[in-house]
Amino acid sequence: MKRRQPVAITGAGCLCAAGPDLAACMEALFRGQRKPAPPELFSAGHAVKYPVFEVPESFFPASMPADPDMLRTARLARAASAEALADAGWEAADLERLKVGVIVGTTVGSAMNNEAFYREYRDGGSPGMEPIGRFLAANPAAAVADYFGFRGPVQTIVNACSSGTDAVGIAAQWIRAGLCDLVLAGGADELCRTTYNGFISLMITDSEPVRPFDLKRKGLNLGEGAGMLVLESDALIQRRPDRVRAWLAGYGGACDAYHLTAPHPEGSGLKHALSEALDAAGCQPEDIAFINAHGTGTPDNDRVESRTLADVFPGIPFLSTKGFTGHTLGAAGGVEAALTLVCLEQERIPANIGFSEPDPDLPACPVAVETIVAGRFALSQSLAFGGNNAVIVMAKGERR
Amino acid sequence: MIRLAIQGVGVLGGFGCGLGDLEKRLMEGVPAFGSLIVPVEGQELNMAAYTADSAPLERFVNKRATRRIDHFSRMALLGACLALEDAGELESSMERVGVVIASGYGPTRTTFSFLDSVFDGGDACASPTNFSNSVHNAAAAHVAIQLKAGGPSLTVSQFEMSVCSALMTTQLWLAEGRVDKVLFGAVDELCSVLGYCWGRFFPGGESMIDPFSLDRQTAIPGEGAAFFLLTRDEQARYGHVSQIRQESIQAPLSSGETYLLNLDGHAGCSTGYRQVLPGSASVAVYTPYYGSLPVGQAFDLAVAAMALRDGRLPGANGFAGPADPGWQLAQGALDRNRLICLKCDGRGRVGHIRVEKS
Repeated sequence: MKRRQPVAITGAGCLCAAGPDLAACMEALFRGQRKPAPPELFSAGHAVKYPVFEVPESFFPASMPADPDMLRTARLARAASAEALADAGWEAADLERLKVGVIVGTTVGSAMNNEAFYREYRDGGSPGMEPIGRFLAANPAAAVADYFGFRGPVQTIVNACSSGTDAVGIAAQWIRAGLCDLVLAGGADELCRTTYNGFISLMITDSEPVRPFDLKRKGLNLGEGAGMLVLESDALIQRRPDRVRAWLAGYGGACDAYHLTAPHPEGSGLKHALSEALDAAGCQPEDIAFINAHGTGTPDNDRVESRTLADVFPGIPFLSTKGFTGHTLGAAGGVEAALTLVCLEQERIPANIGFSEPDPDLPACPVAVETIVAGRFALSQSLAFGGNNAVIVMAKGERR
Repeated sequence: MIRLAIQGVGVLGGFGCGLGDLEKRLMEGVPAFGSLIVPVEGQELNMAAYTADSAPLERFVNKRATRRIDHFSRMALLGACLALEDAGELESSMERVGVVIASGYGPTRTTFSFLDSVFDGGDACASPTNFSNSVHNAAAAHVAIQLKAGGPSLTVSQFEMSVCSALMTTQLWLAEGRVDKVLFGAVDELCSVLGYCWGRFFPGGESMIDPFSLDRQTAIPGEGAAFFLLTRDEQARYGHVSQIRQESIQAPLSSGETYLLNLDGHAGCSTGYRQVLPGSASVAVYTPYYGSLPVGQAFDLAVAAMALRDGRLPGANGFAGPADPGWQLAQGALDRNRLICLKCDGRGRVGHIRVEKS
């Protein structure tokens, strides 16, 4: 493994249940505020109303009204992308002559699972093709590129819950290789009855607000949202050096090759991914100021993560932000990258909401109160169905 | 950017299983396809389709290990095993091997089977097995688990641009030394719902793909998998992928190349090919042998690999050559040591994969 050239992050945007933009999300996190509630976007026939983290309609920008021809996932991705571009100081028109790529991680945004359409077909009807047309028009990466008029490469990553983190890491590779001058990268996903029923069927959904790393944790709460970052080439940054909010210093990934839905009990893939990311960033575990863990609140995930973090990063503070956002699946890596970036800038992390009682089976516990963090680097990690593990390391930027 | 050495190829589709079957079909010059049963309004329509049989997977993986693996992932796993076998690497260590998979629509049969479980038994009876196999990266996971591939894993779903997009990242993984080898593959499957959608979008039903009738809809749906074992070695058994580009259609391409077009009978995509290809371009098309599917470009790449290995385009095309655009039909011996696989998506994007002899 070798050290990689860091890539500049000049803008970030986030829209999720915690807030309509990144600043509002951070305020909610540091206020310790969260609003899980039974889903309003759909109904389901379970005896228990499992809470979710839904994005209220009022959180969407007025410039992006609901579009019957566009999936909600694409709308979320576009909204977060617009915020990230504005934060980076770019107008779409400024980018016309540049090679701009888009990489978006998702799960729901690439699934052809419209229930009403399929029910009618299954019942012997001839459903109209509008839902399929909408699906075909709303591939997240293409939908973002088309909206802003970008002409570079597009990639929709469907690595389940590590998709957003992989998107950010791969965006840095695209920049380093000279494939693009600028890449918009992150994740987007909408709440959906199919995933709601699916996670309940796997018995890894908590009927209470999610409790990452807590003794009484019973599983995740689903969420929705989007988190997008702007990554830029050295050539662009030389013209605007004061725009750098952070550097994408390292990225690592590895597959457990163990089980379709359960992480490797010793975290073997995660350890490989961490090692690769640290090597790429040229730093040691003790250089990491804090870790934004995957922290879904499922018994298996949190056990494996806690053990791995205790082993690799003893004493380094960590938290899961999913207590504020819910598990936004393919968006999670993008949302958490944006939140990590701001925590690194502000040199503080919020309390791991939902955690109150340590689990004696977990050797490392998250921060229970707002915590000052010092250091140049922060790390965000994602674990996923399929045994995927993805890790990014960010370094502080120069923007003040 | 480094070149990707193609060391092994594994394909399955309507033509059969393995490169030998594809080659044989290309030599015989007879497109073959089966059928897809599509229930519509109480009747069963028999739609022409290129369907793939994943039963030969038992040659590589025992039945018990794959009993809960669906057709989509079985096709991917079989393609991966065939590529490793072709490269003589079935027994090699997979510790530093990455898995990259491209798919247009993912595991559609299992996606709808999950909904069946909800409709049949209510929300509380949703099938956890179907749910976990319905995620798009299930195929990559099964490949990694069965073959013990411990490198990074990536699944890309970019409809018709999936192959090019995923291959771009594959190239970077090998260039940066993240892995020593990549099992790169593409897979898409057919199901009755896709058949229904096909019938609604393209009523009429064709009996044969006529690729150069650009204004006529003649596409016939296909399914299958095409896998490649890729390394960064100087020596390649088939040739090297030397350049990958994916972007919005802009300036026309050079006329001094031979293009392997994924013209698959979709009239809506023909505008793109007309825009990017100069009138004098030298072209070849093989879609009538494997059908129309979002990841069809991966099958073109397999044909290109064979062509570079043999120094000639395989088989004899049994269909009429280009008319209106004035493209020249390339056949027989290659007049230059490279080919460009070209795919236009009908939405203004184009993907190029340049492959050249070692």
